[in-house]
Amino acid sequence: MSSTHTSPPTANRRLETFSYDDQIVKSFVIATVLWGAVAILLGVVIAFQLAEWRLNFGVPWLTFGRLRPLHTNAAIFAFCGNAIFAGIYYSHQRLCKARLFSDLLSRIHFWGWQVIIVLAAVTLPFGITTGKEYAELEWPIDLLITTIWVVFAVNFFGTLVRRRERHIYVAIWFYIATIVTVAVLHIVNSMELPVTLLKSYSLYSGVQDALVQWWYGHNAVAFFLTTPFLGLMYYFIPKAANRPVYWYRLSIIHFWSLVFIYIWAGPHHLLYTTLPEWAQTLGMVFSIALWMPSWGGMINGLMTLRGVWDKVRTEPGLRFMATSLTFYGMATFEGPLLSIKSVNAIAHFTDWIPGHVHSGTIGWNYMMIAGVLFYLVPKLWNSELYSKKLANLQFWFATIGLVFYIVSMWVAGITQSLMWRAMDDAGRLIYPNFIETVVKIVPMYWVRAIGGTLVLVSFFLMIYNLYMTAKRGKKRGVEVYESYALDDSSLEPGASSHRKLEGLPMVFSVLSVVAILVGSAIEIVPSLMAKNYIVKMDVVRPYTPLELYGRDIYIREGCYTCHSQTVRPMTHEVLRYGKPSEAAEFVYDHPFQWGSKRTGPDLARAGGKYPHMWHYKHFYDPRAVTAGSIMPRYTWLFDNKIDYSTLSKKLAVMKKLGVPYATEEITNAVAIAQAQAAEISKELVENGVPAKIEQMEVVALISYMQRLGVDYGQLPETPVELPSTEVK
Amino acid sequence: MKQAVLSHWDLPWLPLTAMVIFIVCFSAYVYWTFRTDNESFYEDVSQIPLEDPKTVGPLSKGQWQ
Repeated sequence: MSSTHTSPPTANRRLETFSYDDQIVKSFVIATVLWGAVAILLGVVIAFQLAEWRLNFGVPWLTFGRLRPLHTNAAIFAFCGNAIFAGIYYSHQRLCKARLFSDLLSRIHFWGWQVIIVLAAVTLPFGITTGKEYAELEWPIDLLITTIWVVFAVNFFGTLVRRRERHIYVAIWFYIATIVTVAVLHIVNSMELPVTLLKSYSLYSGVQDALVQWWYGHNAVAFFLTTPFLGLMYYFIPKAANRPVYWYRLSIIHFWSLVFIYIWAGPHHLLYTTLPEWAQTLGMVFSIALWMPSWGGMINGLMTLRGVWDKVRTEPGLRFMATSLTFYGMATFEGPLLSIKSVNAIAHFTDWIPGHVHSGTIGWNYMMIAGVLFYLVPKLWNSELYSKKLANLQFWFATIGLVFYIVSMWVAGITQSLMWRAMDDAGRLIYPNFIETVVKIVPMYWVRAIGGTLVLVSFFLMIYNLYMTAKRGKKRGVEVYESYALDDSSLEPGASSHRKLEGLPMVFSVLSVVAILVGSAIEIVPSLMAKNYIVKMDVVRPYTPLELYGRDIYIREGCYTCHSQTVRPMTHEVLRYGKPSEAAEFVYDHPFQWGSKRTGPDLARAGGKYPHMWHYKHFYDPRAVTAGSIMPRYTWLFDNKIDYSTLSKKLAVMKKLGVPYATEEITNAVAIAQAQAAEISKELVENGVPAKIEQMEVVALISYMQRLGVDYGQLPETPVELPSTEVK
Repeated sequence: MKQAVLSHWDLPWLPLTAMVIFIVCFSAYVYWTFRTDNESFYEDVSQIPLEDPKTVGPLSKGQWQ
């Protein structure tokens, strides 16, 4: 097929020959299926761990709190990341009619990314984490990510500069938005001050950190799991269906609207927290506005299949892509719905949210990746798909497994929420013991685990099918193509401003950055000046050295993956936990630990609620004090000695971050910590615990637990001052 | 306390600014995109993924890539 849109008279035009670098695409394809299997396997393991706590096996690096960050990082950055790079490198070369800028950069990109993944796989299970969701990797790995991302960007934009196609096709716009925005998100959110090679503290604290983190977290979904996949959709669906995209103009509106709006929506993860009301409202409004571009993209993709719907039945790749778009539509309908404050009040912190997330990652990302792989592997390995029957079987395993997952989490989430807020006529909680709401939903955790297993089986079926497809491939030489060089003769005199812009990659990239920075700046800059707005309370003091050490253990064990630390201003939460949280309570929290899920109860007011001995027993065996608990045992906290060697340095770094530690406190940090440990262990020893407990990590963790929410929580309630006009 | 903090954070000009920026940008690119003289151009460029360059054979030694 040929067209004349950028083909002026051929006289005087230079014809060039070139080939594509498909070897790098093959490498990323192989990495995609390998890491995909690992990511989904980890997901299944942690799903079963929630259903049956014994599956934590009493091994530190196998516990839910440590494996869950590994699962999310593997799914997002290893599985989806490699798939994105495979799809982008394949389509970008063809859309530009040019070989990738540098074979060397391509290889550095590939191996660098795999090293990052391996480092994540090594560090996260050992509790080396920043404690910020989806950004848990420590600072040396963050630096490596930045470097490799720059390598990717240079390779990508270098190819764009060398292109032989004047117009930059819409898929590339989405790739550009991905590259520039992920760079901005990663750098801003990863600002941290190192303590040691494997430990750092976030530059931000409390409300600031929460806003920056969820600006990042939400937009990691937007610009790592959405925009690159939309780019792939705009290339691979027309290619697989052999039809142009349904409405190119809609794709332009889709792109600019999505890029502009998405970046504002982060605060919907923090509704009813101490985040400023205007930021919450802004996040909610822009989340609802996201319906428009999201559904625009979905409709554009699905309508591209007009006239070839029969192929969806016969071609597995197209079937996966069409299903993927359907789930994209569902997930992007559900997301804005969950962002409406009244709906969010019900859904937030419940299992509804993981259900929503997985309708996106399995339904949209996995299905789209499967569709792209079914297109790519036969082409790259010069073969025919091994078995359509296996692909169909894979499709049904994945779809049914996903439905099991989503429905069970809807049921679990709504059950949880209704039980949390259930009150009798006297205004008392009907289920005051949190564990009652946990036991009720454990059957749904089993259904979810079975659904996840079906998805895993579907993935193994795909691996086998793709392996056999590749194995049957016939070797062929590198194909050489010819195309006219891009020169001034391909410029259009008198074209509209946007038309010219579409041929200027660098200007286009800058405008994309401006589009995302406008929203980011308006959201984040006022927050960065939070110190001017948040009135500090004298009663809120920095953590003692031992409490700080205990907090690091809390982060290491991934407690934030199951427990929140913020009480929303809702009657049932106040009745259950205590006073609503205040922004000033978190000013020394580097990083914040509000969490996003309550598999266990909120801990913001946990301090002083139980004696030390209760915590001691609870960490050793949660069932000893809470019948029916699904929390794993943390027996190693009773064997690991407190390592005081870096304690002073930790306090010194905190001081640099603005925490008001006195110099004597930093100098004498170890002695102060030991004194507090002795005090706590005294009570434990009186209850029959061996004296050596004083040196063990569990004491530090207890000290932290006993501090949570105590400062502000002890203040007497002050009556709300109403405006004079309302006082009758 | 919460009331006091939020009153300090009352920044109504922020969402208003956001709204104005969005409306201006959205109007601009809708105008550019739907200009009638662009119609045939966009129909053409939508074909780009379907255009494969001409194959001239396997790579020979020393050939430019």
